[in-house]
Amino acid sequence: MKRFLTMILPCLLFATALAAGSSRFDRANERFAAGDFAQAAELYQEVIDAEGPSAAALFNFGNCEQRLGKYGPAILAYERARLLTPRDPDLRANLALARKSAAVFEEPGRFPRVDAFFEFPSLNEWSWIVAGGALFLGGLAVLRGAVGFSKRWLVAGVRSTAIVAALLVALGAVALYLRRGEKERGVTLSDNATVRLSPFEAAESLGTTGPGRIVRILKTDGAFHYVAVPGTTLQGWMSDKDVAAILPSMP
Amino acid sequence: MVKRIHYDSLVRNLVHSLMACLWVAASAAAAEVEAQLDRDSVAAGNGALLTLKVSGSRAARPEMPEIENFIIEPRGQSQQMNIVNGRTSVSVTYQYAVGSNTPGDYRIPPIEVEVDGKKFSTQALKLKVLDSAAAKPPAGMPSGPAPPSPDADEGGKRFGFLTVEPQASDRKYVYVGEIAPVRIRAWFPVDARAQLSSGIQPEGKAFTLHNVSDRPEQTHEMRDGKRYLVVTWYGGISATKAGKYPASLSVNATVAVRDSSAPKPRRARSGPFSDPFFDSILDDMNAPMIQKDVTLKSDDQEIEVRPLPAEGRPEGFNGAVGEFKFDRTDISSEWKTGEPRQIGARISGSGNFALMNAPELSPADDWKIYPGKSDFTPGDNASFSGSKRFQFSAVPRKGGEQEVALKFSYFDPNRGAYVEITSPEKKIRIAGEDMAEEEPAAAPDDGPPVRRPEELVGQHLEISAPGLLVPLVLRTEFRNMLGVAGGLCALGGILAWLRLRWSDPQRRARAAIEKATQQAMDAAKRQAEAGDVSGFFNAARRAIQERLGGLWQQPAQAITLAEVTARIPGDSPVARFFREADLHEYGRQADVASLARWQSLLDETMASLQAQDQPR
Repeated sequence: MKRFLTMILPCLLFATALAAGSSRFDRANERFAAGDFAQAAELYQEVIDAEGPSAAALFNFGNCEQRLGKYGPAILAYERARLLTPRDPDLRANLALARKSAAVFEEPGRFPRVDAFFEFPSLNEWSWIVAGGALFLGGLAVLRGAVGFSKRWLVAGVRSTAIVAALLVALGAVALYLRRGEKERGVTLSDNATVRLSPFEAAESLGTTGPGRIVRILKTDGAFHYVAVPGTTLQGWMSDKDVAAILPSMP
Repeated sequence: MVKRIHYDSLVRNLVHSLMACLWVAASAAAAEVEAQLDRDSVAAGNGALLTLKVSGSRAARPEMPEIENFIIEPRGQSQQMNIVNGRTSVSVTYQYAVGSNTPGDYRIPPIEVEVDGKKFSTQALKLKVLDSAAAKPPAGMPSGPAPPSPDADEGGKRFGFLTVEPQASDRKYVYVGEIAPVRIRAWFPVDARAQLSSGIQPEGKAFTLHNVSDRPEQTHEMRDGKRYLVVTWYGGISATKAGKYPASLSVNATVAVRDSSAPKPRRARSGPFSDPFFDSILDDMNAPMIQKDVTLKSDDQEIEVRPLPAEGRPEGFNGAVGEFKFDRTDISSEWKTGEPRQIGARISGSGNFALMNAPELSPADDWKIYPGKSDFTPGDNASFSGSKRFQFSAVPRKGGEQEVALKFSYFDPNRGAYVEITSPEKKIRIAGEDMAEEEPAAAPDDGPPVRRPEELVGQHLEISAPGLLVPLVLRTEFRNMLGVAGGLCALGGILAWLRLRWSDPQRRARAAIEKATQQAMDAAKRQAEAGDVSGFFNAARRAIQERLGGLWQQPAQAITLAEVTARIPGDSPVARFFREADLHEYGRQADVASLARWQSLLDETMASLQAQDQPR
């Protein structure tokens, strides 16, 4: 009986939490439909805090923030949702709209088609391609080492598969290398996001960036991040009220 | 006396004379002075580039003429040296910014330059300085000198400033919906580096900005004795609600300027550049750049915005404010009931074309009108004046003859009243019978699809499974997985090596030899312990044969004393042991006492063979 309870209790708790989250999500949707975007945003945030970030909750939260004219938090939410569903056309459209509204435009790369290819899968998907491919190659190596194949067609098949896997791993490694800077990406949140000379509020202002601007977070000191603003030579400290990393635990 | 003329001397003199002529001609050709302007005309306050190229080995600095109201400002020089077939030619190119603040036709007289001791002149040049109005700003835009600038040295203005020049008007108020054309100018210090990070935005919510030019003009202009890079936009500003509101515009930019307040580097104040003028220039050139994100904001101007009067508002008024007229109408003479036909009209004038809807057909009874398309042709940079062409479909419901016209109403802000304009009446004939009240066939719409306002798309109604935002590559699991993959690859390699090694025939043969040798050695040891001399020698010789067979790659049984002595020195332990073994075999002397010595000899033999086997 005790063992049964030990097994069933976590399942029950999880199901209850899921149901609670779902009901909160539904309520948030109702508030959104009613035009109460502030209340809807609060409820979506609760869903994210309670259950972890989901693409739907982040997307809807971004929509609320955009409706409220808070383009920084909206762009942050969309960018985070993009990590989970990188090819969602609605997400791309709303992110583009938010950027346009905030007058924020990312500099296109030198090779847009190459960039588009490497950005088609998310960073997470490329990681899985590399890790999965490497594990597959390892498994194949063990199989080949332990068994050895005498049939020619089998050897050719294994060799071809290994080459494809190795190419995928190499391609994934290139993608991860090219996109290595994404872990440093942050989004400016407030309209008066200020870059300061030193990591404290009273420090001299070096400039402001406006909301929704993508910056590089180079290091963190307490509640301040040292940021570089791409496309400019502006570098300095920003308060965590003004900027947030797209990857929450980074850097 | 007869003077003899030497032929050789004559030829030599001729050649020398020819060379001298060629040298003179070449020298004259090498020295050249050329001046040109990069354009024929320039707006007042702007500059053209004058390039003066002086070719010659020893050229003096050109003397620039002085012209009234005309500025010639040096912009640097470059030098080019060519050595062809040992001959050196030098050309120096001087550049000058030229222009004037006063419109007019200017003539730059020939510029004199002394090259190789001779004076050369350029051709005279002409430059037309246009009134700034010739740059075609929107109608009514101020064309005179720019309004007084804010103090450029003021703390907040050192990175630049923004000016807004509205349409010249006596009115001190505007109406809701009225578009006032403006020229917006961002002024940056000429040595600054500026990058705009936003578009022009109105401050506050009382005003909106329309039709801001996509490609702003960039010019260099002098103002209060300072030179600026000026970025100019044209657009229209309109009020959205009645009341008194401060109107100003802003633009965000990242601007880097030289910090002249920075401490000056210590420099030797002597030599040719010891003049304070050069000190100032060099200090400026060495001053560090400081960069700042700035919001350039124009001065607040309080504007009274009046509502459009309700009194006298025509029924068909749809928000057009300005001054308009019909340019042309296109109404077919022949119609048929129930059949749609296109009606065209073009309205020109100045005002808020963006809010202008199509004119109405009059009389509208017994007609079914369908929305159509329109396109606007701007007449100025701010899209304030221009013409708008409309095309829409109409279906007559009743037959007969009619006189129709198009009607359009707008509010004239200068008169403060609504105006209704009507196109010339046109007599038309409608064939066919009167239609019942059923819906006529849809009008062909050859217009572009109606552009929907940009809106947010999608709202997820179902919650999706939560995921991890941090990608795998940044988690420790990724490194662990790669470690496991590396381990598996290594394990696969080890397994493959072991499998290959296990199946190697040479290795197997060596193992068999080793095993047989060891067995023979064990047997020899046992026989020695048992005192069986014959058995000892048999086993010992077999052990040596096995080992030698492995070394020489031949069957162990085939190795005899003769084979051994043929390949190994006779005093070697192997040969000695073989001789002892043969002696014993043929002599049959069971000398048990010598067993220890033979055992020792056997050990020595095996050790020597082991040593030979090692390199393998």
